[in-house]
Amino acid sequence: MKGKRSLFLLLLIATLLPAGAQTVIDLIREKPQYASCNYNTYPDSIKAKQTPAPQGKHPFYISHYGRHGSRYINNRSGFDIPYKMMLHADSVEELTPIGKRVLEEARLIMADTEGQWGDLTSYGKKQQRQIGRRMAENFPEVLCPGARVTAISTVVTRCVESMGSFLTEMLQVEPQLNITMEASQRNMWFLNARTPLRNNYLTPEAKKAYEAYIANRTGNSRLMEMIFKNPDIVEELVDESYFNYYLMKMGLFQSNTHLYMNTFLKDLFHTDELYRMWQIDNVLWYIQHGACKLNGGRQPYSQAGLLRKLIADADSCLQMERPGVQLRFGHETVLLPLVCLIGVNGYDLATDNLDELEEKGWWCSSIFPMASNLQFIFYRSGLNDKDVLLKVLLNEEEAQLPIPTDCAPYYHWNDFRSYCLQKISQ
Amino acid sequence: MKELMRWMLVAVLTCGSTSSIMAQKGHKANTQDALPSKELKADVNRAAGIYYALPVELENKGKGHKNAIVPFNDTPAPDGKLPFYINHYACPCSYYLDNAEDYNAPYAIFAKADSLGKLTPLGRDVKRRLALIREDALGRTGELTAKGAQQSRAITKRLIDRLPSAFRPDGYYSVRSIVKNRCILTMQEGMLQMSTMRHPISIRSRATKTEYPFMDPTDEKLTSAWTNEKTSTLFAQFASLNDSHTRLMEALFNDQNFIITHFDAAKLARQLFRLASSIQHTELAGKVTLFDIFTPDEIHRHWRRQNVLNYMRYGGYTGNGGTQPYQQRSTLRNMIHMGDSVLKRYAPLSHLRYTNEQVILALASLMELDNCGVQTDNLDSLEAMGWADYRIAPLGGSIVMIHYRKDHFDEDVLVKVLLNEREARLPIETDCAPYYHWNDVKRYYLRKLYRYENTRFDGITEPQRIFR
Repeated sequence: MKGKRSLFLLLLIATLLPAGAQTVIDLIREKPQYASCNYNTYPDSIKAKQTPAPQGKHPFYISHYGRHGSRYINNRSGFDIPYKMMLHADSVEELTPIGKRVLEEARLIMADTEGQWGDLTSYGKKQQRQIGRRMAENFPEVLCPGARVTAISTVVTRCVESMGSFLTEMLQVEPQLNITMEASQRNMWFLNARTPLRNNYLTPEAKKAYEAYIANRTGNSRLMEMIFKNPDIVEELVDESYFNYYLMKMGLFQSNTHLYMNTFLKDLFHTDELYRMWQIDNVLWYIQHGACKLNGGRQPYSQAGLLRKLIADADSCLQMERPGVQLRFGHETVLLPLVCLIGVNGYDLATDNLDELEEKGWWCSSIFPMASNLQFIFYRSGLNDKDVLLKVLLNEEEAQLPIPTDCAPYYHWNDFRSYCLQKISQ
Repeated sequence: MKELMRWMLVAVLTCGSTSSIMAQKGHKANTQDALPSKELKADVNRAAGIYYALPVELENKGKGHKNAIVPFNDTPAPDGKLPFYINHYACPCSYYLDNAEDYNAPYAIFAKADSLGKLTPLGRDVKRRLALIREDALGRTGELTAKGAQQSRAITKRLIDRLPSAFRPDGYYSVRSIVKNRCILTMQEGMLQMSTMRHPISIRSRATKTEYPFMDPTDEKLTSAWTNEKTSTLFAQFASLNDSHTRLMEALFNDQNFIITHFDAAKLARQLFRLASSIQHTELAGKVTLFDIFTPDEIHRHWRRQNVLNYMRYGGYTGNGGTQPYQQRSTLRNMIHMGDSVLKRYAPLSHLRYTNEQVILALASLMELDNCGVQTDNLDSLEAMGWADYRIAPLGGSIVMIHYRKDHFDEDVLVKVLLNEREARLPIETDCAPYYHWNDVKRYYLRKLYRYENTRFDGITEPQRIFR
């Protein structure tokens, strides 16, 4: 009897948790660009529910760090790799008919990107407009007539343009906002910190583990057979793993541009091939920005300065009656380590076993798609309320923090503050 | 005394050549325009030239006030014609100087002089002021200032208020900037203003290099003339005649020997003048000034030097061919092309473009707006002819061509051009000035462009370069 009951309970739990059961393969099957990690696209609509704030508490201040929206690849070198390999093979009559078609596609994509390397795409602007609109619609108490909105961005064009799109749309919801914009070198030290951590992540130990991990995941003989007449002969001209990796990227990146309807390149690849590339990239992003024990576990601390600044800004804003909104526009290489440093949704996972990442849910593509963002929403009952609450939204969905609370997903600001300050003082 | 004689001679020569050239080109001296020397006295910030900020104040502060603003007297369009297309090219708004050296180098000289006891009391006070200016600009060189942001919004507001029927809810706004943060931010501040005033609104913005061919074109053949031997020599001669730094240096430093041995005095005077010009763009305006260390005559000379340099590079200076404004021929051609291609539209359209102030300077000269098209090789006559850079392309300045018609089927399209928000004269005959018939405008400018372009198809190299 007891066994039957527990079986029933188990079944009930299983049906209640369909989302939790989704694997990375499922996600890639649904949305192939999930495999391209930082080129993953932002969701077109946000379905997650917002938990009402505890009795009597109202939102009064929003602090935000957002990545620019969808962009073109930064420079041509990534695209040049498969393109030149195919050109070379073509010159010696080694391309199959499909191979020739693929070369044409590559040529089209490169011509389209020419002159726009690194630019925000129109899709990227749309993402920002939608996020700005939702923020104004979801928090009218904060974004009320006369509210102060201080927006800053890095000096990189795509970030400046993201800021402009976001704010222009916000004014469509509430035209009486008091907005200032700035894109200044003087804010770069915290908006896009360059610390030595950034370049010294691949320690010998980390390198060894990484190489062991990717050893049987690179390459794609099926693709080689499809594109080249004699894969064994073109080995002289074509590095199989490079070719596979970069051609796949070239296809997936188009989800961010106006060529998104053209899925020819993307469709050349099977889900399991995309999945293997995701695995390779995911561990590398982890070693670079996660709390990876193989290189000392300090990588997320590259954003200690930013976190300290976020706290200092909040400290002064909490003194004000109507502090409004602080928006910051930057990059994924800041957002990812920041999320890992704070420990949002368990992304502070510290391990030296790269095989563990996937099963423990450390999936970088969920953190930092194009236009990804972290929003801190502050609540209180009035200016004299000492128990300020905080809710963190990662990509506009309520997130968990690694600290105890009696009102999740709301956390006590003082707990969060001391947790963070203590962590970055280590 | 010798100097006085020379100036009198110059003045006599100037008067003669001015009238003859003006009559020849069909220009009438604009009686509304005061002489630059008077305008500089009225508002010394104009001496900044193209680094002068178009005033933000909307209300008229009254006649005689330093910043008295002549109200916009918009001439009503004939026959109830309405604006349906706006083609707008704008300069960035107020920004900090581009190079950190502009702020650091003069301060370093004063700091060193001070440590050696070489500063006069005025010199020490200037050092204090330089420290404030430098600190304000720290980490922000070349960036749009807070005043620039306000300025862009005020200018956009004025445009929408003046042309409500062009900014209808069904209108479409295509907004473009060159890839330079101060231009992008000027554009975006304008967008915020539009978004505040119109709901719903369709704005699509873009900062891209792909549209440089008609937003910030380059023409090496023309720009190479800036530095050729003849131009360089002529400019050096003009500059040395207008140089004035001895009095200033003696007022700031107490040791002649120090001035001679430690720095380039003429350069320092120019740097101080540039900093003086820059203060108007920042929050220090009204609190700190550097113009007070210059005499009115020195201010005039500094401006003259820069005005002439701009004329040689972007104006119709005949000394290097008189063709420099053609740097912007593809910009003008695009304006004409767009004017035709929007005719089939039903809803109003605006192209708002933000580019460098030099583009506006050359484009206004090419379009011969007001006095901008003057052609002369007599550099001293320039200001008497009314070619003053702060009038043409100040920060916040713009050229806006507005197209009018009665309805979709009205074939007699009229255009009006605003230069820095004021109705401008075009070099074309009309029966309804300041409105001009689009077909006349198109014919005049296209012929002008073809005439020039024919001269460029002189060898084999040009066509080859185009078809490559």
